[in-house]
Amino acid sequence: MWPFSGGMPSVWLALYLVTLAVHLALIGFVVAGTGHALVHAVRGTDDRVAERTRDLLPFLLGLGITAGVAPLLFLQLLYQRPFYTANLLLGPRWGAVVPALIAGFYALYLAKAAGRRARRLALGVALACFGFVAWSWSELHLLLQDEPAWAAMYAAGDRLYANASVVPRVVLWLGVMITAYATIAVWGARRVDRRRLAGLALAGRLLGAAAVGLLVADGVSVHPAAHGWAIVLAGLLAAELAGWLATWRRPDGRGPHLATAAGALGLVATMVVREAPRLAILEPPRALAAEASGFPVFVLTAVLGVLVITQIVRTIRAVERDVN
Amino acid sequence: MDPSPLPYYPVNEFGPLMKGLVIGGVGILHVFLAQFAIGGGMLLYYFERLAQRGVPDARRFVDGYFRVLVLVSFVLGALTGVAMWFTTIQVGARTIGLMIDEFHWLWATEWVWFAIEITAGYAFFRFGPRLGDVARRRLLATYAFASWMSLFWINGILSWQLTPGRWLDGAGMWAGFFNPSYWPSLLFRTAVAATLAALVACLVINTMAIDRERKAALIRRASWFTLPIAALPVLGAWFVAVIPADSRQWLLGGSVAMTMFVGIAAAASFLIGAYVVVGLVLRRLYINGATATMLLVLAFGATAAGEFVREGARKPYTVRGVLYSTSITPAEVAALRATGVTTHDPYPLRDDARYANAQLRRGAKVHRALCDACHTMDGTNGIVHLTRAWTDDQLRLNVAKLQRTKAFMPPFAGNAEDVEAIVQLVRWEAAGAPPQWPVSDDPRTLAQVATWLDEAGTEPVAPPVPRPGTRPGAPPGPPQTAQQGAPARGAP
Repeated sequence: MWPFSGGMPSVWLALYLVTLAVHLALIGFVVAGTGHALVHAVRGTDDRVAERTRDLLPFLLGLGITAGVAPLLFLQLLYQRPFYTANLLLGPRWGAVVPALIAGFYALYLAKAAGRRARRLALGVALACFGFVAWSWSELHLLLQDEPAWAAMYAAGDRLYANASVVPRVVLWLGVMITAYATIAVWGARRVDRRRLAGLALAGRLLGAAAVGLLVADGVSVHPAAHGWAIVLAGLLAAELAGWLATWRRPDGRGPHLATAAGALGLVATMVVREAPRLAILEPPRALAAEASGFPVFVLTAVLGVLVITQIVRTIRAVERDVN
Repeated sequence: MDPSPLPYYPVNEFGPLMKGLVIGGVGILHVFLAQFAIGGGMLLYYFERLAQRGVPDARRFVDGYFRVLVLVSFVLGALTGVAMWFTTIQVGARTIGLMIDEFHWLWATEWVWFAIEITAGYAFFRFGPRLGDVARRRLLATYAFASWMSLFWINGILSWQLTPGRWLDGAGMWAGFFNPSYWPSLLFRTAVAATLAALVACLVINTMAIDRERKAALIRRASWFTLPIAALPVLGAWFVAVIPADSRQWLLGGSVAMTMFVGIAAAASFLIGAYVVVGLVLRRLYINGATATMLLVLAFGATAAGEFVREGARKPYTVRGVLYSTSITPAEVAALRATGVTTHDPYPLRDDARYANAQLRRGAKVHRALCDACHTMDGTNGIVHLTRAWTDDQLRLNVAKLQRTKAFMPPFAGNAEDVEAIVQLVRWEAAGAPPQWPVSDDPRTLAQVATWLDEAGTEPVAPPVPRPGTRPGAPPGPPQTAQQGAPARGAP
């Protein structure tokens, strides 16, 4: 099935897309959750969801960054030359995403422990840092596809890639992140909060739709090869919408199950549709990479890892059950 | 135009800092924190066992220490790991690309262990106080084992760079992974990790609100973890014995800078070892927070010097026998002797108008392609300073016969015009970059330089060189894509 039909590069691509989806879900929770917590901190309102979110943010950022290492690895296999070139063109400004993440990380810890005023500041700093990182990734994603611009950009010493698509893409991902946040947060939420989170999820989708509109107006369209996936995505989004509407009507019902399942699959489909235009510059596999050993070891370790992490989660859930 | 012999990447400069300092700064911090995390896991498991046997304050120490581990290592350690990738791309894109190509499945395997480590660590941090004894022990054991496994995998990839071993003869990835310096490196790093964890423990114990007697009791327990430092001389000697002969010579007197750093690392390790083994373990002395901090600073210095030695010992390669520090392969050197190194470089100069003539512009491109990885023009390790006392002909000769000028430099990967261009650039910079500068194109001079290039050959002085045809996958050449019209250069 397109685009997974070409030997080992297809395995890399599949792993890249799936791990990127996991990374985005976790980071989505962090970015939108930080925004949510900030809104309540600024308003000075006590909100159980925001409080719980604030408590979870450093933990989920840690997981999100860890999850982000895997797609970064496979990205280097798939698009080595353009990815490295874009890194080098943006140079130190691109490298600034690391100190920004460190600052954001510590700010989230501070937000957990600080009083109201310092909390506002900490959450604001964290959100600004994450916004910078999101902006930088969107810029890098577009720059690595724009080879004709590379030499002139290098000669000019520009560290900013001014492309009209950057803003709508960031807004689109912000919408996705808001929905991802609501999807994760709904599982620990009380009945009354679930309704609000359903509304937030729908707002995220509306924001995303507006950004898609801007992109379409700018001439961006779904790559012809990805039409099938776009249809699948549309179906999944419809199912997710139904799930959220059901949650709105009956917060104790099965709505969150449907919304989560459809949303998770939809995120993977989104990754494929997003990737489609870039597949045109997919590099033929280098001999060294195509012949590399170690795949069975990775598979065995991955299975073991899933089992161990599942066991850890079960242990934690048992503790939570006891506490509750 | 003929196809480019190598992929070109845009090259960034870091002002007066040479690139080695940039990657070194990030790398040393990351290694230090990562080793602390690995040793910390083992030490915490040991203290948890003590706590469950009723040793006073051990439980309190475990929870306090873990907080430090999470706040320092999980955040800074994890993110400096990401920074290492980004910085390596800035400094040597082709090198990291080659490592990814060859070892991506092992890197992915390492990532799985890292994910387990982080999950177990956070789970313990968040839920540890509410867990039963068995669950606590299991989580800490999982954390400690996963973090060490992360080292197990990454160590093979890093040590392969210096000692690829039978991989060079086509023996396959596993031969490269379990290379000659794999085991001494792994054991050395494990011993260092345990020592670092113990020193941090001494620091943490000093911050605990308990009386001195109780602190001393905990410190005595933690001090057992410093004992592996006694094995470092043996492990260090083992490592030195298995590295290539030319690298060993530089470490042991052949290169003053390298020898000095070996000395710093050894002396700092000896001082730490003497203090902890004699003072803490044998004489059971108390160690206060200031002394623990000082020993940690000393350990950081030892780590920095040790990493400098490890990186420097690879020269003139970034991957021994395969990729020079210029990110050019031995085979490509021969091709670039014919075409020149600037012919296919698609990237213009950022400061084109600054140069007085086209030859100097060419020289700037040669510098960018062949010198910039290890030298600045007039900052750290600046070429202008290094060559100031040389005559023009001496400079030409030394550049043309680069690998014979200094055995840890790669062969010059350009033609006679490239040599003359870099010579003129260096002289022009040394003269204060005047607006007028004559072009040097005397055919006799160029013929002499060409002769010197021929005499030097394209082989490095230091063996081994990869035997042609024995490596199944030479480093990536320019990918054959539709976008190859303007191939990118293999960086610094």
